[in-house]
Amino acid sequence: MISRRNFLIGIPASVGAAGALHPLITWAADQSVYVPGDEGMIVRSARFFDLEMPPEFFDSWLTPVPHFFVRNHMHEPSMIEADTWQLTIGGEVEKPLTLGLADLKKMASHSVTNTLECAGNGRGFQQPHVPGVQWQKGAVGTARFSGPRLRDLLERAGVKPNGKHVMFHGLDEVPGKVPPFIRSIPIEKANDSDTLIALQMNGAPLSKHHGFPARALVPGWIGAASCKWLSEIKMLEKEFDGNFMKPGYRYPNHPLKPGDPLNVDDSHPLTALNVKSIIAAPVDGSTMKSKMLHVHGAAWAGEAEIVKVEISTDDGGTWQPARLDREQAKYAWRLWSYAWKAPKPGDYTFLSRATDSQGRVQPATADWNPSGYLYNAIDQVKVHVEA
Amino acid sequence: MSKLEPVLRKSFFVVIPSNARDLQFCILFIFLCLARAHGQSPELPAGPMQAKVTTACTECHESRIIVQQRLSKGAWTKEVDKMVKWGALVDPADRDSFIDYLSVNFPPDKAPELMPRVASAKKH
Repeated sequence: MISRRNFLIGIPASVGAAGALHPLITWAADQSVYVPGDEGMIVRSARFFDLEMPPEFFDSWLTPVPHFFVRNHMHEPSMIEADTWQLTIGGEVEKPLTLGLADLKKMASHSVTNTLECAGNGRGFQQPHVPGVQWQKGAVGTARFSGPRLRDLLERAGVKPNGKHVMFHGLDEVPGKVPPFIRSIPIEKANDSDTLIALQMNGAPLSKHHGFPARALVPGWIGAASCKWLSEIKMLEKEFDGNFMKPGYRYPNHPLKPGDPLNVDDSHPLTALNVKSIIAAPVDGSTMKSKMLHVHGAAWAGEAEIVKVEISTDDGGTWQPARLDREQAKYAWRLWSYAWKAPKPGDYTFLSRATDSQGRVQPATADWNPSGYLYNAIDQVKVHVEA
Repeated sequence: MSKLEPVLRKSFFVVIPSNARDLQFCILFIFLCLARAHGQSPELPAGPMQAKVTTACTECHESRIIVQQRLSKGAWTKEVDKMVKWGALVDPADRDSFIDYLSVNFPPDKAPELMPRVASAKKH
């Protein structure tokens, strides 16, 4: 039994001690975020949930689901029951449909290995800085997605001639007065044989973070097109008119000066990804104990294919070809590697530059835009090689 | 503990618990403070607007979304106005102070924010 005197002393004593320890508590709390299954991922935000893949996880052609970046504009749905979840297809169609998960599973399934990249990946590198999640290299991953083809669903519903855009509405839980997450894609892309309503990722049902039970999968396009927790598909005559189509996710038609605002009327919606390569190792700023360096990374190009990746160690004066790994698929990245021996100890800079089948080449400086979209400047890593 | 005691007494005005029960009680309080802080997002920087900005902004999202930004005053102005449009409760009389607080603490030339990694789950 604690004495009253000691009780009354104990409270300020504890508060005083806790107060003195407070900076340490804050430091300790800052250092640790626990998300079972996602160990090692970079926490850009725990609420809304945004996780980035660190450079050391760029080591396999298919990204394991626990290493796959997670991006959310708002809150993930708190509860979705597979048995009661439904997907409606309506708007400009002959036969509006309501389907359950079992109905989708009965349909013919198709698989696509796709490199999914957030439109804002690399935003953290853009100068001058712009608002948004300050992703660096890792808001990107490659997985095998499976599910019925979107066009098979649209065929069942019978799209009317004036149905030109396919709207996706997901079950993201909207905070405050934020507009709901609704976007649309043109029917041409929706009818592509590789555009899916994905139910599986790397051979297993989609996890909650990745859109369980169904998401759109629009291969080679920005991640935002592949709407998670899909609940409604609607055929529209025109592009959806809402925040996440305008002013969100738009790219200027003409290059802007850094700092210029976006003229929405002189812009177009983001669609396919840019040509891009990143250096996964060595990590920028590291000290290497050996003169033999194994430089490696990944390169991708949306709907195009990677033709070559080149490395420069003389600030872009000369370029040498990197070796592209054999694994490839239409919308998937190529892993690449480059073995190099430092002539002597000192500081060295590696640049990586990708070229794609559309003739696009990574630029030295990315086109600046107010949202930091599609950043794809030549990647650069500085290392120090010890004796 | 005996060598530390006079130092602690002087510096914190703390009365050291004199028996095991009292010590347990004090540890419980410290633990509760720790538990409250455990897993929380970083505190926003100290300043007269800290509490108001924290309340208004972390209603919807955590502070890491704020602390990683590096924006000019003009850009912060646009962001604050957008957040208010989307539901952030900011007294109009405080708007300029909000903008100043964020501009001063998260300017373009500050070094990038170092973000934590997801840790391995501990068994409690």
